[in-house]
Amino acid sequence: MNLEELKKLKEKAQRQVALREGNKKYRVVVSMGTSGIAAGARDVMKTMLDEIEKRGLDDVEIRVTGEHGLEDVEPVIRVEQADGEEVTYARLNAEKAKQIVAEHLAKGKKVDNLAVGKQKKAE
Amino acid sequence: MLEELSLHLLDMAMNSLAAGARCVQIAVLESAKRNWLIVRVRDDGHGMDAATLERVLRGHSGKQSRKKKIGLGLALLRQTSEMCGGHFHVRSAPGRGTAVAASMRYHHVDRPPLGDLQATMLALCAANPAVDVQLHYQSDDGKFFFSSQEQKG
Repeated sequence: MNLEELKKLKEKAQRQVALREGNKKYRVVVSMGTSGIAAGARDVMKTMLDEIEKRGLDDVEIRVTGEHGLEDVEPVIRVEQADGEEVTYARLNAEKAKQIVAEHLAKGKKVDNLAVGKQKKAE
Repeated sequence: MLEELSLHLLDMAMNSLAAGARCVQIAVLESAKRNWLIVRVRDDGHGMDAATLERVLRGHSGKQSRKKKIGLGLALLRQTSEMCGGHFHVRSAPGRGTAVAASMRYHHVDRPPLGDLQATMLALCAANPAVDVQLHYQSDDGKFFFSSQEQKG
């Protein structure tokens, strides 16, 4: 581990905290149980945090949860919208995570080919 | 399965959050010169009784564990640390939090890399902004301390 690298952690954490205030249009929940972590959930989350920061999307918050009960298709995230709509995305990697940020979170367009299961519609 | 020690740290800290911790202290102490590496997670969550702790250390087995949410993260870390010439220690009691420490030989051929500690920390900071997630890091080159609550300024 490089000590200099680690020092950047502070700046980075500060920038990400700044994006976190207020009510959000989107909440992203990352499944971060042991099986999620083993499948790469941390790197999916890191990519999303980086992309959100890069694009300055201040209408998104990211949270984590334990097991989703979807161990076979990890890494899994759920995007919850303020209007009640929910979409679950599965079998993710960094590339797909970028795509979800670029399409769903930045433009409000669901990424249908990555979504799984029944989607909860807006109320 | 968990190929980096920083993924183990994330896994353990997630358990701390699930246990309702308000403060999670992560420590990574490594010295190539003295040939050791220690990772430690300490929390003020609701802790475990002796029977639960024993089940956790054995790792999950079958249906019942699924219901009770027993994973195999700690069992894996214990195996890794013992395989790499180190020791593994857990202290926990109901209402008194949990502390896990694993040591290993720095130069042991099977020792997993530390990996992306920064990604682990950022994931934890975002996971629950109300919790103070701390990192103490120390190596031959110096020390570093981080607290997520300090970043709010």
